[in-house]
Amino acid sequence: MAGPADQTGIVFDIKEFAVFDGPGIRTTVFLKGCPLRCAWCHNPEGISPEPEVLHSPAGDRRVGERLTAAALAARLNRQGGILRDAGGGVSFSGGEPLLQAEFVEAVIDRLDRLHVLLDTSGYADETRFRRLLAKVDMVFFDLKLMDPDLHERYTGCRNEPILRNLQILSQSECAAVVRVPLVPGVTDTAANLEAIARACHSFRRPFRVDLLPYNRAAGGKYGACGRRFSPGWDESRPANADTTVFARFGIEARVV
Amino acid sequence: MVRRLEAMREAVRERRQAAERQSAPPDVLAECEREGLSWMQRVCRLFVRQCEAERPVIAPDQQIVFTRTVPAVPAIYSDEAWRQRFAGGKAHELGPISNICADWGLVLAAGLNGRRRVALLTRERRSRDPEAVEFLDGAVACIDALMALAGRYADEAERIGRDDVAAVLRRVPAEPPRSFREALQALRFLHASVWLCGHYHVGLGRFDQYMMPYLERDLTAGRLTVAAAEELLAEFFIALNRDSDLYPGVQQGDNGQSLMLGGLTRAGRCAVNEMTRMVLRVACDVTMIDPKINLRVDRDTDLGLLEFAASLTRRGLGFPQYSNDDVVIPGLLAHGYSIEDARDYTVAACWEYIIPGRGMEIVNIGAVSFPAAVDSAIRQGIEAGDSFDGILARTRANIRQQTRDRVADYRHVILPPAPWYSVLMTDCIERGRDLSCGARYNNVGIHGAGSANAADALVAVKRFVFDEARVQPRILAAALAYDWRGYEEARETMAAGPRVGNNDDDADAMLRFLFDAFAEACEGIPDNGRGGRVRPGTGSAMYYVWLARGHDGMREPAVGATADGRHQGEFFSSSLAPSPGTRSRGPLSVLQSFAKLDYRRVCNGGPITLELSDAVFRDQEALAKVAMLVRQFARLGCQQLQLNTLNVATLRDARVHPEAHRNLIVRVWGWSGYFCELAPEYQDHVISRHMHEF
Repeated sequence: MAGPADQTGIVFDIKEFAVFDGPGIRTTVFLKGCPLRCAWCHNPEGISPEPEVLHSPAGDRRVGERLTAAALAARLNRQGGILRDAGGGVSFSGGEPLLQAEFVEAVIDRLDRLHVLLDTSGYADETRFRRLLAKVDMVFFDLKLMDPDLHERYTGCRNEPILRNLQILSQSECAAVVRVPLVPGVTDTAANLEAIARACHSFRRPFRVDLLPYNRAAGGKYGACGRRFSPGWDESRPANADTTVFARFGIEARVV
Repeated sequence: MVRRLEAMREAVRERRQAAERQSAPPDVLAECEREGLSWMQRVCRLFVRQCEAERPVIAPDQQIVFTRTVPAVPAIYSDEAWRQRFAGGKAHELGPISNICADWGLVLAAGLNGRRRVALLTRERRSRDPEAVEFLDGAVACIDALMALAGRYADEAERIGRDDVAAVLRRVPAEPPRSFREALQALRFLHASVWLCGHYHVGLGRFDQYMMPYLERDLTAGRLTVAAAEELLAEFFIALNRDSDLYPGVQQGDNGQSLMLGGLTRAGRCAVNEMTRMVLRVACDVTMIDPKINLRVDRDTDLGLLEFAASLTRRGLGFPQYSNDDVVIPGLLAHGYSIEDARDYTVAACWEYIIPGRGMEIVNIGAVSFPAAVDSAIRQGIEAGDSFDGILARTRANIRQQTRDRVADYRHVILPPAPWYSVLMTDCIERGRDLSCGARYNNVGIHGAGSANAADALVAVKRFVFDEARVQPRILAAALAYDWRGYEEARETMAAGPRVGNNDDDADAMLRFLFDAFAEACEGIPDNGRGGRVRPGTGSAMYYVWLARGHDGMREPAVGATADGRHQGEFFSSSLAPSPGTRSRGPLSVLQSFAKLDYRRVCNGGPITLELSDAVFRDQEALAKVAMLVRQFARLGCQQLQLNTLNVATLRDARVHPEAHRNLIVRVWGWSGYFCELAPEYQDHVISRHMHEF
C-alpha cells in the first residue's frame, strides 16, 4: 500500500552525482531535522526541522523546502534512466531521514525501479526503523560512540535505541555498512574502536565498516546558520584511522 | 618519469631554451622586393630562409630534437602592401591559414621524398598551367628546405658525437620512419616547422591512429619496451611545450596543439589501441599544458578506458575533452561529409570538428550573439505590442540577420598561399592546387554564444510578462534601459525564472528554439562563398566576455542589461553551461538540459562545461563514477564535454568574488558543502588542502 501522494516533507538539499553516498551514480536527498546534536555535526542546516535562511558572503539562501512525496519522486524519476543505467539510485540522508519516515516511505513507493539507500544515525523508534528497512536496498548506519554516557555527552542522546536498531539491521537481509566518524580523542579512541569492532563481530552477520576521518572544515557552515561551533577536542590532531583492531575481529574496515 | 625528463621538463617550465634564441629573424622582405617575387614565391622564400636561419640545438641527453631559435616570422610585404593583398576581401585573423589539421599519417608514411615525387609528377602533368607550376615548384623548394635543415641537425649531431641522433635524422623526415623514435622525430620537424611561415593553431590530429603502426612494429619485434616507448613519447610531449611561447594565441596556452584519441577507423571499426592508452598514461605523467588531449567516446566505450581518462582529468589540467561519436558523426554526415571522412574527425584548435588533411575549414568566423538577438526582439516587441510568439519571431529574424552578416564578412576572405602546409595535406600537391584555394571541405563555422542567458531571458519574459503578467511590458523595457536601476523588484522577479541547466523543460525549450533558429539560418545559406556550407556551433570562445563588455576586434552587437535579471557588463554563459550565478541542480541535470539540442544540425562543436571538485577523484571507486558520468554524457546524446577539476586559483577567486562561484562545491569530510558558505578560516583550510592533495 503506497503512502499518500500529498504527504509532505522538508528537504534541505538534493545533490546529484553524490559519489560517496553509495554504489553507482546517485542522487542524495537531504531531509531536514535531526534528533541528535553531535558536537561535530557538519550539516548544521539539517538540524532544525523547519526551513531557515542561511547568511553568507554569497548572499542569503533559504534552506528547507516543503515538497510533496509525489513531486519529489517525480523529480527523482526524471533521472531514473541515468541512475539505473549507472548502477546507482537514490540515497536518503539528512538530518535524520527517519524523523520523516512516513514521507520517505511515500517517496520510495513512487520511485520507478530505483535502488534506494538509507543513510541514518539509527536514532528512531523501532517500528519506524523496521518499516523503512523493509523498503530500502541498502543502509549506511552511523555508529559514533559505544559508551552510552559519552554518547549522551557528545550527541545529546542515549545510544540504546541506536544499538537496538543496529541489532534489527543485523537480523535483516538488507545490504549494510557501518560508518564511523573519526573525531580526534572522541570517537577514535582505541577503546571506542575496539568496542565498535566487538559489537559488529557479535552480530549474526558481520558488517563492513567505513572509517571517516574528521576534517577541520566541519564547523564551516555554523556561522551561516547562526550557530556556534565549539569543538571540545583538538582539531589539529590527525584522526586515529586504525583498521587493525577491526581486522582482529575479522571485520572488513576501510578508511574513506 | 625518469630523471632525465624531469630535468628537461623543469628547463622548459623555466623557459631556459629561450637563451638559444637568435635576436632577430632573417630579413626576407628586401630580397622579395628586389626580385619582385609573387605572393606564392614570397611565402616559399620565407619558409626556405627560416629553415636556413635555424641553428641546430641538441642538448646532451636529448633524443627527439628540434628547438626553435628563430624568434619571429619576418614580413614578406611592407605593411601597406600586406594590407593591399586583402583589398576587396578580408583577412582571417592574422592572415595565414590557421586552425586546421594536416594529414600527418600520410606524410609520415610517404616521407618527404615521397611527397616530393608526388609534387614532381603533378608538375609534369600540369606543366602548361603556370599557376600549378609555380605552386609545385614552391612546394618542392619547401620540402628541400626542411630536409636540408634536418641534414644540418644530423651534421651537428655527428660533430658532437651523437651518432644515434644523426642516424635518425639521416633517415627522417626524408624517408618513412622505421621505428617509433623515427616517427616521433619526423613529426617533431614536420609539425614545429609549420609555425615558421606564420601558420598557427596547428592541430596534431588523430595521434593514436597514425602513430600506432610504428609503435606496434617496434614492440612486436622486441626492439622497444613499453617503458622505453613511454619515455620517448614523454620527451615528445615536453618538446611541444618548448617553443609554444612563440606561437600566437589569445592567451598563453591557446596554441591549438590538440590531439585526438580513440573513436572509429575510417572503415568503422573501434580505433582504440595501445597508443590511445599510452598517450593518456604519459600525459598524466608529464602534466604540461601541451598537447591538449581529446577523447572520442560513444555509448559503449569501455569503462576501463574512461577510468583511465578520468585519472587524467584528476590532474586538473582540464583534459581530456570528450566528443561523442554517436552524435558528431551523424552531424557531419548531415553537413555533407562522406562517411569515411566523418569517422575520421578530429578537433581543430579547441573543439571545432575538422577532417585531418581534407578540411580547409574556417571554423571560427565570429559569433551569433543570442543575448543581443533576444534583447532587441524583446525591446522591439514590447514597443510594437507583440505577443510572446511575436517576440520569438523577431528573435528568429535577428539570429538570421546576424548569421548572414557573419557569413557576408567572410564571403570574400582571402587566404595567403600556403605551399608548405599544402605538402602536408591529403590532396593539394596531388591536384596541383594550393591549400588556400580550398580542400575537400571548405565550410565555415560560427559560434553560438551566450545561449543559456538568452534562453533564461526568453523563458522569464514568457512566464512573468505574458503568462503571469507580474511584470508590465513597459516596466521591463524601462528597467532594461536603466540597467535595472530603480527596478530592483522587477529584476528579482525576472531573475527567479526557470534556468537552463536544471532539466527544466520550459527553459530548455527556449534553448532548443535558439539553436534551431540558428541552424535554420545556417541551412538557408547553401554556399558560404568558398564552395562550402555554414556550420552552427555551441561554443563561445572569448565571446562570453566580449559580447558583455564590448571589444575592439568584434563586429558582433554588444548588449546591456538582459531580461534574465543580468546587469550590464556581467559575463554571459561560456559555451554550454548554465548562466553565471545560476544555482544548478547538478551535473546530471546539466547533461539532461543540453541533451535536448539537435546536434545533427548544430555540429561546429562547443563543449558542455562541468566543474568537479578535485576531491571527487579521491579513490579508484570515485574515478569509476566519473567514468560512468562520461558514459551517461554519451548515452544521453550530448555532443562534447569539458570536465574540469577545481584548483586553487578558482578557490582563491571564489574568496574574492563569491557571487561568481555560488556552485563551487568542496568535499570536506564525508560530505560536501558550498565553498562560499564556509567561514573564511575553513575556506583557507580547504585551499591549503587542495594545494597539497596531489
